[in-house]
Amino acid sequence: MTSVTENAQQRIEAYLAKLRGRLRGFNDAEVREVLDELRSHLTDKLAASGQNTPAAVDAALLALGTPEELASQYITDNLLARAEVSRSPLQILKSLFRWASLSIAGFLVLLGSLTGYFLGIVFMLCALLKPFHPRTAGLWIIPDGADDFTISVRLGFGNIPAGREVLGWWIVPFGLVVGCGLVMLTTRFAVWCARRNRRPSVLSRS
Amino acid sequence: MNPRATNDPEPADKWEVQLRKGCLELAILAALWDGKLYGLEILRRLESDSDLIVSEGTVYPLLSRLKALGLVRSEWVESEAGHPRKYYALTAAGKERSREMAGMWARFSSSMSKLLAPLAKGK
Repeated sequence: MTSVTENAQQRIEAYLAKLRGRLRGFNDAEVREVLDELRSHLTDKLAASGQNTPAAVDAALLALGTPEELASQYITDNLLARAEVSRSPLQILKSLFRWASLSIAGFLVLLGSLTGYFLGIVFMLCALLKPFHPRTAGLWIIPDGADDFTISVRLGFGNIPAGREVLGWWIVPFGLVVGCGLVMLTTRFAVWCARRNRRPSVLSRS
Repeated sequence: MNPRATNDPEPADKWEVQLRKGCLELAILAALWDGKLYGLEILRRLESDSDLIVSEGTVYPLLSRLKALGLVRSEWVESEAGHPRKYYALTAAGKERSREMAGMWARFSSSMSKLLAPLAKGK
């Protein structure tokens, strides 16, 4: 029978409590499963080392990484699994929000992905709304001064903007292609970042 | 002059790390080919049979992902040590994926070996 001292057990439980608080987006059963598995793993590790000293417990916990690092690994692996199954931007964004709450890297990836999805959806909406607002929806170049101008994607609500419309009806195929392309590229970007985030943790014995 | 050529072995090390990371999924599926194992056993099998030393903080989230993808299933089994352990086993889809990946690996390895043969001779 494996014996874990009370002090060791307290350290393990404190670690698992921190991890529990960071496993956002996992349901109760999934969190319980993760924590039970890690508890079992740590018990085996301590039994194998034959030590229950604070140093041995700390070494076993260090091998797992900090609670933030480990939660980040679970969340990015979860994102990769979701991406492989559905590629749904909503599912990807849900995971990115959780990752963003744990690290600056996750936050930056979320910002980039939100921008990409937003632009993609705006282009697609513009293309879809053009037949309903033929005079006001489209891509416009609006002068801001002598040498300056703004490029504006208009969905067709409000007045006819000052400036010059470019593309005309070509905005329909252009918007659909560019919009879909941006959404797909953003998903690829998010998945690529999640893969890159996984720590370089496979080493050679030599 | 290439500044890296003089004293910077880092790119090769990074490449090796990426190569090993890329193989990890196949390595875990292969470790489960002969039957169910729990997390620590998988880590030890990888270390003893493939020389892959995997961080514990990597393997458990990865097992969770493989389970979400339906490639492995898990069950809790009471152990002689007095606490339950979570065992993983390949599903039918996991076996199929393992075979496919092993085939790809064999073909890739074989073609690379031909390409690399002159380098080995020049050692």
